[in-house]
Amino acid sequence: MTTKELIEKLGLKPLSKFEHREIKGIFISDMVSDVMTGAKSGNLWLTIQTHKSIVSTANLADLSAIIITSGKNVPQETIDLASKYNIAVLSSSAPTYELAIKLHDLGLDKG
Amino acid sequence: MSKCHHQWEMTNVKYGFVTFDKCFRNNAIKTNFSSTDTPGEEYREGDCIFIRVENAQSFTFDLHCTVCNRLESFKELMGLLQCTDCLPECPVEVLQKEYAIKNTWIFVAFGYLPEANTKPIPDHKLDILTVYFNQRRDTSRSKIKIVPFNLIQNLSRCKGEFIHDVGMLSAEPPPQERKPLL
Repeated sequence: MTTKELIEKLGLKPLSKFEHREIKGIFISDMVSDVMTGAKSGNLWLTIQTHKSIVSTANLADLSAIIITSGKNVPQETIDLASKYNIAVLSSSAPTYELAIKLHDLGLDKG
Repeated sequence: MSKCHHQWEMTNVKYGFVTFDKCFRNNAIKTNFSSTDTPGEEYREGDCIFIRVENAQSFTFDLHCTVCNRLESFKELMGLLQCTDCLPECPVEVLQKEYAIKNTWIFVAFGYLPEANTKPIPDHKLDILTVYFNQRRDTSRSKIKIVPFNLIQNLSRCKGEFIHDVGMLSAEPPPQERKPLL
């Protein structure tokens, strides 16, 4: 499944400018150090963190997209940095657990 | 010389905190890795009285080659920073513009201060880090290059983005104004 398809299926809100790509698995964490050690290339990252560090982390770990869950407000600086580095930042009002279930139901699972 | 085409994996991962200590008498900076979070700690070293000004959750690791079993320690690596184009004449920013054309992103490797000022992380280790992170990604889309922090033109004015966990207990969004690195 691509990020484009996921956005359409789940009604996610794209916040940054990015090129769509294939999603390979899910990674859930609110700590960038955890993502750095455990996430794999192409993973879709679910988090409530909105600090600019998430963009650099997603870039370094080559993640397919970041979904900010629970309707958290994402600062414009984070969005601008993500657009600059072609990192998809998407927003969902759903809590992480609920979104994870929906993703599982779509056939996306731990990568 | 080894002919192994190393396949690196992260190992010996230890979670903890990078601590930033500052002496307000002479602006000396010290950074350390600690397993505990001790904000506001004060201690004396010579004429300096250091106060802990910030902690950031982080981790240390080594890299292990799954082919030949070689272990490369990265205990001197404090963290990685991504250039955010804040100083147009900074060599890192100049390098980033040059590499961006090739879809390659520059990350700066920091060592612990003050030791890293005189003993930077060796180039061969930065090369290994570069190889490792590129082995983890789809390099047909983009690549990574790790460079040493002494390329940064002016550390006290750098507003590059450190990869670390900050404000983990805060529900508020981060401040709008970016503070310089040190």
